[in-house]
Amino acid sequence: MPGGSEPAGVSASDVNRTQEAILAAYAELIEELGTDDVSFRLIARRAGVGERTIFRNYATRVDLLLAEAVWIERRIFPREDAASIFDMPLTIRAAMESYDRRPELAHVVAETTMRGISGATPSPRRAKLEAMIDAEVPSLGAAERRAIVAALAHLDSAATWVAFRREFGMTRSDIADAAGWAAEAVLDPIRFRVG
Amino acid sequence: MADGVDTPTAILAKTAAALREYPFDEISYGTLGEAVGVSERTVYRHFPTRSHLLEGVAGWLESTEFPLPPFITIAQFEEASRARFLAFDQAPAFAFVCARAASISPTGDPEPTFFTRALVAMLATNHPSLNERDLRRVAAALRYFASAQFWARMRTGFDLSAPEISDVFDRSVAQVLTVLPAPSRTSR
Repeated sequence: MPGGSEPAGVSASDVNRTQEAILAAYAELIEELGTDDVSFRLIARRAGVGERTIFRNYATRVDLLLAEAVWIERRIFPREDAASIFDMPLTIRAAMESYDRRPELAHVVAETTMRGISGATPSPRRAKLEAMIDAEVPSLGAAERRAIVAALAHLDSAATWVAFRREFGMTRSDIADAAGWAAEAVLDPIRFRVG
Repeated sequence: MADGVDTPTAILAKTAAALREYPFDEISYGTLGEAVGVSERTVYRHFPTRSHLLEGVAGWLESTEFPLPPFITIAQFEEASRARFLAFDQAPAFAFVCARAASISPTGDPEPTFFTRALVAMLATNHPSLNERDLRRVAAALRYFASAQFWARMRTGFDLSAPEISDVFDRSVAQVLTVLPAPSRTSR
């Protein structure tokens, strides 16, 4: 990477130091107070910047919240790089456990990805899933490939944790079990079609 | 104010009407109060935070715009889910609000929706010998693939239309259901 200090491709995010401070402070405050009660003034004080600095970086509350959701997903809930599509159930289990440890932040990610095109991107790891499935099971038909990638992307998300907890009252380990189990079921038809 | 309608319901109806023109985040309590003929304070009294309003309007939309057809078999559940995906496509602004409301930190004690209870009851009735863990895993997976959240992710993240979303739904549900014995063999 020409002139950059961060290694190409592995940078955790594309935020600068000021934005990092703002987003980290906002995450702390969301966990302490919830999303409704956090003012720009409070974030500014916690981040050690002026309120105007926040506005310069994030013109509106919605802009800030969407950037926050992306930052949370990358920094608080990062995925281990799966080597194989068949590792996804493990990845998903681990993700569910990490969401359960930080419930307020998991809700922020889940909700902001449900806003349509004006929201946070709902399947940030879609391309990665497609690359893995194309490398391992290249013979798949288009409709089957799409269904498996889409189902795994859906399961590998904060909304899974929210739905299983909220609709079924599941515990951390039950959520991880149920989500991983569903991912195994999705993968069943292609287990013996590698290569 | 329309006669026979209580204030919270009137507020929710006006919120839904406003959603046809504005995103949820741009609908102010002041505007809602004016539209209903009550003060902004009254709106706050019924919906103390925007999360309360979001949950309220989603519940109202679920019952008025996206009523769930009754189902007592898995085939009927699948048909009901596909019909809802089509209805979501017809009113995307409403459907995204439902998907958002299902994803926020709940304002009260989280309760399973009617859809979830109907689904669990249907599975338990049709498969009385299924163990509790598998019953819950199957129910949770089916519920989640039938949700507004699934529709929203497929539409935004994969650019799919309702028929394409139904195809992904059908294939995923078929895989989840392989744990169940064939229906003809379960009834004694």
